[in-house]
Amino acid sequence: MNQTLHRFKTGTVIVVGILLLLASFTASLSIGAYAISFSEVLSLLFSPDGSKASSIIDTIRLPRAVTGIVIGMCLAAAGAIMQAITNNPLASPQVFGVNAGASLMVVIGVVLFPGLGAGTLVYGAFLGAAVGGAAVYYMASTGGGMTPVKLALSGITIHLLLSSMIEGIVLFHETSTEDVLFWLAGGIDGRTWTDVNLLLPWAAVGLAGAGILGKPLTTLGLGDDVAQGLGQKIGWIRGGAALLVVVLAGISVAVAGPIGFIGLIIPNIIRKLLGPDYRILLPVSALYGAVLLTSADVLSRFISYPGEAPVGIVTALIGAPFFLYLAGRGGRNG
Amino acid sequence: MNPLIRTPKRWLGMLLMLLLVMTYLSIGIGAVWIGPAGIFEYIIGKEASGQAYIIENFRLPRIVVGLLAGTGLGLSGAILQGVIRNPLASPDVIGITKGAGLAAAAVILLYPGLPVLALPAAAFSGAALVMLGLYVFAFRRGVQPATLALIGIALGAVCQAGIQFLTIKFPLETNAALVWLTGSVWGKDWTDVLMLVPFILIGAPAAWLLSRKLDVLNLGDDVAEGLGEPVQKARLSLLALAVVLAGASVAVVGTLGFVGLIAPHIARQMVGNRHVYLLPASALTGALLLVTADSLGRGLFPPTEVPAGIFTAVIGAPYFLFLLRKIQKS
Repeated sequence: MNQTLHRFKTGTVIVVGILLLLASFTASLSIGAYAISFSEVLSLLFSPDGSKASSIIDTIRLPRAVTGIVIGMCLAAAGAIMQAITNNPLASPQVFGVNAGASLMVVIGVVLFPGLGAGTLVYGAFLGAAVGGAAVYYMASTGGGMTPVKLALSGITIHLLLSSMIEGIVLFHETSTEDVLFWLAGGIDGRTWTDVNLLLPWAAVGLAGAGILGKPLTTLGLGDDVAQGLGQKIGWIRGGAALLVVVLAGISVAVAGPIGFIGLIIPNIIRKLLGPDYRILLPVSALYGAVLLTSADVLSRFISYPGEAPVGIVTALIGAPFFLYLAGRGGRNG
Repeated sequence: MNPLIRTPKRWLGMLLMLLLVMTYLSIGIGAVWIGPAGIFEYIIGKEASGQAYIIENFRLPRIVVGLLAGTGLGLSGAILQGVIRNPLASPDVIGITKGAGLAAAAVILLYPGLPVLALPAAAFSGAALVMLGLYVFAFRRGVQPATLALIGIALGAVCQAGIQFLTIKFPLETNAALVWLTGSVWGKDWTDVLMLVPFILIGAPAAWLLSRKLDVLNLGDDVAEGLGEPVQKARLSLLALAVVLAGASVAVVGTLGFVGLIAPHIARQMVGNRHVYLLPASALTGALLLVTADSLGRGLFPPTEVPAGIFTAVIGAPYFLFLLRKIQKS
């Protein structure tokens, strides 16, 4: 009986998520400086007619919406994986210094070596993500276990260090200040099919890997001892999971800049709704990550209308109060 | 008594000497180089080559501001680490400087025409507002050090979101805001000194008088209460003091990071955990760090000036990592 109820709940959450995603996807194609009605969007999507509206959808809005969906999925999945391996609800690409590390490397690449292509910058982002994440993990695990407080304090310390290095670089290259600042807030506007092509393979690898890890991560949630007793090689699982986080978060930062809080908010809400089974938690988190980023992107078009504002500001304005709520409960699970 | 034994008092004496030497040298560093002899001539009033004007109007005020702000930040960090009982706590980390930063960014970006005094006033109120937020969210639940730190970080994130929103929405004055947010004593004059002096002159002795309370709090809530210390009240008053010290400093020099975090650590390595010595040592170390960072920023690539905040971060963070390693090993 209880299990049927849980299945029903899971099903409802997934169906609602898909509907929300369709709605925000359509809104993302329709809303903007050049408004296109919903019905027009639907017909143009399936039969492009070469009109102005059609080409806006094809070349501007559609790649942007697809980027949003994929990056939302990556960030939420990365957050869920991090929370699983650290057993800590505050873990997320942003709190863990992963975003800041990747950003620093990308800013160094863009400002100091302007000739580098986006394909090369991705590897810089991976490296930065790995170094930032490792530094925070190392600091947070010093002196006994990793409590939410230690994680948050270490994360923010590394974050402060990396961002003051970024500030230093930006201050000395005044010509690029505004562009870099805009990028640093995290945004998906102006993304093209080239970006989508860069993003998709890495995201596919990362998300597929996350799918495979669902079961071992659930076992890991029972505690290291139990997981070991059940025959899990926890070292390998943690290592593989960390690698996935680097890929998922690194590619997101390389394409869209450090968009915060999605990896923090979504997995926590989904865990509250559906429980800690990562076989369900991971895909549903990815789904709702896409919903959140796509709808935040729609909202961001109103901030300095008709100009564009980075979507990262919207996710931060939504996410920071949520962080406050989590903190108020001492960062405890459930 | 062996003169080579490093007692806390001797460490304090050494720090003071070092600070005096650094301050003395710092007067001479910059686009116009003034040798130690020249500085001495200025001090005894026999300076003749016209550099007195530079010293009096440009070098001295910023050095004094650096000394005062470094003192304030170092003390504030030491108090917070004591109250939160966590070596990672500091005014930057628990959101106090971010609150000041948000208010300052609002003034710089939204009302660039306001008088000069508006900026520090706003920054100070921003810090106070974060403190109020901490009180509302953390103290009503009977504050636990862990909750306090988490809520401070979260409030910092909220303020950071606001700062980002403002800098993107009003891009015209962004560079001015950015320099302020990095933290610098560039261009400070005697008005800034006058603004900062009362806070530090009252706050620093007050903190020192409360040092016994910090020692008691460090024993844990139960022991402290057993010793007759009203824990919540002591925590609240110490926290308020930390906010005043950091808020006033940040209001003048901007969100200069890492001084409040590492100064107490360096001090602890020298004088140990007793706050009677730790607080003055943190104050001296903070001042030393800030004056050194500013001297480096002025001296390395003249006439370009690197904001002191960048140096404190670049020096501070690796040192901090090294320190954590050491703590872990012991």
